[in-house]
Amino acid sequence: MASMKAIKNRIKSVENTRQITKAMQLVATSKMRKAKEKIEESRPFFETLSEALSDIASGTVDFSSPFTQKKEGKACHIVIAGDRGLAGGYNNNLFKSLSYNDGDIIFPIGKKVVEYFSKKNVSFFTTEYQIAADVKISDCNSIGQALAEAFEKGEFASLDIYYTGFVNMLTQLPASKEILPLTSKGDGDKKKALIEYDPSPEVVFAKIIPHYIGGIIYGGVCESIASELSARRTAMENATDNAGEIIDSLSLTYNRARQAAITQEITEIVAGSNQ
Amino acid sequence: MNEFDLQIVTPDGICFDGKAQKIILRTTEGDVGILAKRANYVAALSIGVAKVVTAQWEKKAACSGGMVSVTDGVVRVVASTFEWGEDIDIARAEKAKEKAQNRLASTPKSEYEYKLAEIKLKRSLARLSASGKN
Repeated sequence: MASMKAIKNRIKSVENTRQITKAMQLVATSKMRKAKEKIEESRPFFETLSEALSDIASGTVDFSSPFTQKKEGKACHIVIAGDRGLAGGYNNNLFKSLSYNDGDIIFPIGKKVVEYFSKKNVSFFTTEYQIAADVKISDCNSIGQALAEAFEKGEFASLDIYYTGFVNMLTQLPASKEILPLTSKGDGDKKKALIEYDPSPEVVFAKIIPHYIGGIIYGGVCESIASELSARRTAMENATDNAGEIIDSLSLTYNRARQAAITQEITEIVAGSNQ
Repeated sequence: MNEFDLQIVTPDGICFDGKAQKIILRTTEGDVGILAKRANYVAALSIGVAKVVTAQWEKKAACSGGMVSVTDGVVRVVASTFEWGEDIDIARAEKAKEKAQNRLASTPKSEYEYKLAEIKLKRSLARLSASGKN
């Protein structure tokens, strides 16, 4: 049986760990609430924007915008993950869902994405927006602008985004969405209604696309942050529970060892007095 | 007056969702008024004052960036910012206006900085005029 002192030390260290995980859980829970509010606020924007854009794309067949043309070539992936670990499978689940080819361009948001891809055969669009927690809507608009320009120049042929969708506190699912080129949905015939563009479809598209990309990125960031926090909350809750279990079983062992020591001492005293 | 469904959304939430009689918006091509039964229409928005008229009230707002679309009678305004005049902090907007003016008046910097100051000035002017001043 392990010595009493060793067991006591272990209990202490597990207790310290539990304190830390408990604190992290509480922090994640309180941040979580804010992040959830943010999602609820931004979701209508996100949805209306996507809806409006796909309506336009399916209604427009009679003009050529660089944003609707399918091309062959490199792809650009926007990948949104966390800045830190200790969030269960949050980062790994997303990385597992990625599909990319060698030579593709990655737009990383989140430190873990940069770490993950730095060993891979891909190039970064920019690593300016590494910290996912700091990305604001104004940043998203400038990202959208930069990406739209690069797409027009032909630096890449398609653009998609990978993020973690927030389903509820316990479930977060990796999700992906194609952004460019804009493709019309199957029911294009039904919605072929004429749309009046002011001044012309090309100009309107050129103005709207950067906003569209920015909006989608912002939505993805909001969802991902909430997902990360709830993943961390769950992970830390489990860690706290596990630490509690370890402490319980260690205390039991400790009490047994103490009892054994007492019994032995008594036996020795009794044996000594009988002589 | 005929009414139509109007939705105004920004990344910070829904600003309006309901029936309206008229909306005037600043697009990249100039001010555009939309009434009920407008034909399908799409335009990009620029920085400016928007006016919404419903059966009960008439309100101004400062609006910037994004798009307006009319599809089958539903008007959607998807803007980067959309602030009702009554919510605007006038003192802050004044300050922003002065700051932007000073920056524009001082020696010209890079083109990017100039543009940025110009946008800031436009935005503060729009906010001031939406709040009823100027």
